[in-house]
Amino acid sequence: MKLFDPHIHMTSRTTLDYEAMAHAGIAAIVEPSFWLGQPRTHVGTFEDYFGGLLGWERFRASQFGVHHFCTLSLNPKEANNRRVAPGVIELLPRYLAKDGVVAVGEIGFDDQTPEEEKYFAAQLELALRFDLPVLVHTPHRDKKRGTERSLALVRDVGFPEGRVLIDHNTEETLPLVLATGCWAGHSIYPFTKMDEPRMVSLVKRYGSERILINSAADWGVSDPLKVPKTVALMRESGIADTEIRRIAWENPVAFFAQSGQLDPAALEAEPAIDQSRLFEGNSVLRGQAPRVSGAPAGAPRPGA
Amino acid sequence: MTDSKGARSSPVLPLPAAPPLELADGLLALVRAHASAAVLDWLAGAVTAARAPLDRRAFATAFALAGRRTGRTAPEPAPADAARLRAAGVTWPVASWGLDGLTRSGLLLHAAAGLAPGELEVLVEECFLQGDTRERQAVLRTVALLPDPARFVPLAVDACRTSVQPVFEAIACENPFPALYFSEQSFNQMVLKAVFIEVAVERILGLTARITPELRRMAADYASERRAAGRSVPDDVGDLLGEKGSRP
Repeated sequence: MKLFDPHIHMTSRTTLDYEAMAHAGIAAIVEPSFWLGQPRTHVGTFEDYFGGLLGWERFRASQFGVHHFCTLSLNPKEANNRRVAPGVIELLPRYLAKDGVVAVGEIGFDDQTPEEEKYFAAQLELALRFDLPVLVHTPHRDKKRGTERSLALVRDVGFPEGRVLIDHNTEETLPLVLATGCWAGHSIYPFTKMDEPRMVSLVKRYGSERILINSAADWGVSDPLKVPKTVALMRESGIADTEIRRIAWENPVAFFAQSGQLDPAALEAEPAIDQSRLFEGNSVLRGQAPRVSGAPAGAPRPGA
Repeated sequence: MTDSKGARSSPVLPLPAAPPLELADGLLALVRAHASAAVLDWLAGAVTAARAPLDRRAFATAFALAGRRTGRTAPEPAPADAARLRAAGVTWPVASWGLDGLTRSGLLLHAAAGLAPGELEVLVEECFLQGDTRERQAVLRTVALLPDPARFVPLAVDACRTSVQPVFEAIACENPFPALYFSEQSFNQMVLKAVFIEVAVERILGLTARITPELRRMAADYASERRAAGRSVPDDVGDLLGEKGSRP
C-alpha cells in the first residue's frame, strides 16, 4: 500500500530517514514551512528557506523515490515577530504561485494573540486569491479554544471548509472539526499530540472520512515512520484496508489535489529514481554508486 | 537575595526604586568578591566601555567575553552584599545567574545609566538577538531592573516563545517582570507553557495574585484534554485550579 505523510519537516531530517520512509511505503509527502526552533531575525532568511523547500529538498526527496510537495506561509509563532512578519507577508505572493506549492500553511494560532489572528485572516485571503487550500496548525496550549477560534475564523472569512485541513487534532477537537466541512489531521508523536493506539480508537469511533494522519517529524523528538507504524496498528486492530487506504493515501491526495499542483495519476506511477542527477551541481551522494531506478542504494562506487 | 521560593504565596513584587548605577554596583560586588586581580582589571575596562559615552564595539565584546573572563560559578554572596541588594529592592535570588550573568547584568545597567531611552532599547535588543543562551538569560533577568521596564514587554513576551528551556526559565522563573508587566493573555500563555514543559509554577514570582478565571479555565481545559488522552494531570494544574490537597 502506498502511504502519504502530509506533514513532515524534511529539512530537519537525514537521507537515512528518506531511505527508511521509502522502504516503509511512503511515496509522497507534504512539507509545511514552519519555524526553525528559534526565531529568525531577518526576512531574507525566509527567501532562502522557501527556496530550499522548493528546490533542494524536493530534489533530495526525489533521489529516494519520494514525491515532495510543500506548503508556504508565515507560521503562527513568527506572526508575533515584528521583525519579520510584515516582510514575509509581502514575499508570499511570489512564492505561492510556484509549482508544487499545494497549500498556504502552516497558519493558525499558537499563543492566540491579536497578531496571530490578523495574519491568519490575511493568509486565508491570500489562499483565496491564489486558489489554494490551507493547512491550519492548532496550538499546543489551550488547544480546544484555539481550534474553536480557528473554525470560527474560517467561517467568518467565508473560506470554503472543504479546502481547510485542521491539524494536530485530539479526542476533544476532532468532533468539532468533523462537525464542519473541514478535514482533520492527526500528528502521531512519540510523547505528545496523538499516539498510535489513541488514533486507532478515533478511527474506530469516527471512521475515515476527511481524516488524515501524519508524523509532523521535525528537529525535535519525533519519528518519520509514524504513518506506517500507525497503519500497521490499524491493520492489526482489524480496521479494513479500504479505510486505512483512505486515511493514509486517498484523503491527503484528494485534499492537496485541490491545489491543482498535485496530479493523482502521476503519484500512482512508480517513481523513477536517478541518483546520477545533480541539483545546481550538487548531489546527495558522498562517494556511493548512484542508484538508478530499482538498483540498491549505498553500494560503493567502483574506484571511489 | 535568598533562595526563598515562596512564590505561591508572594504578592506582586514591588520593583527596585534604586537607580541603575546602584543596582550595577550591587550586582558587580558579587563578582568583585570572587575576582582575581586580572579579572578586576578586565572588569574595570568593561565598565568604562559601558559608561557614557558608550563604546558599542568594546561593549559587545565585553558582554560576550564575560563568560570566559569571570567563569560561570554561582557565587556565595557575603551577608553584607546580600543585604545591600535587598535594600536596593532586589528581593529575589540572583546568585544563580552565575558570575558571567551578574557581570552582563551589571554592564547593561551601567550602559542604561548613560543612554537615551531609544538607544537603550536598541542595545538591549541587540544583546538579546545576537546573544547565546547565557547572554539571553542575562538580558531577560536584567529587564526588570532597567529604567521604565514596561518598554521591554515585547522582547520578554517573545522570549517566552523560545524552545530553549533555560531561556524560557530566565524570564518565567524567579523573575518579577512577567507578573508586573505582562498582559493577562501573555501571562496566561507563559504559565500554561511552564505546566506544559514541566517547569514548576511555584517558580513564577507573583503568580497567586495573577490567577484569573480565564487562567483557571485554561488549566481546567488542559486537565480535560489530558484525561481524554488517557494521561495523568500534572499536580501544578491542580494548584492553579485551587484544588487543595491535589498533591499527595
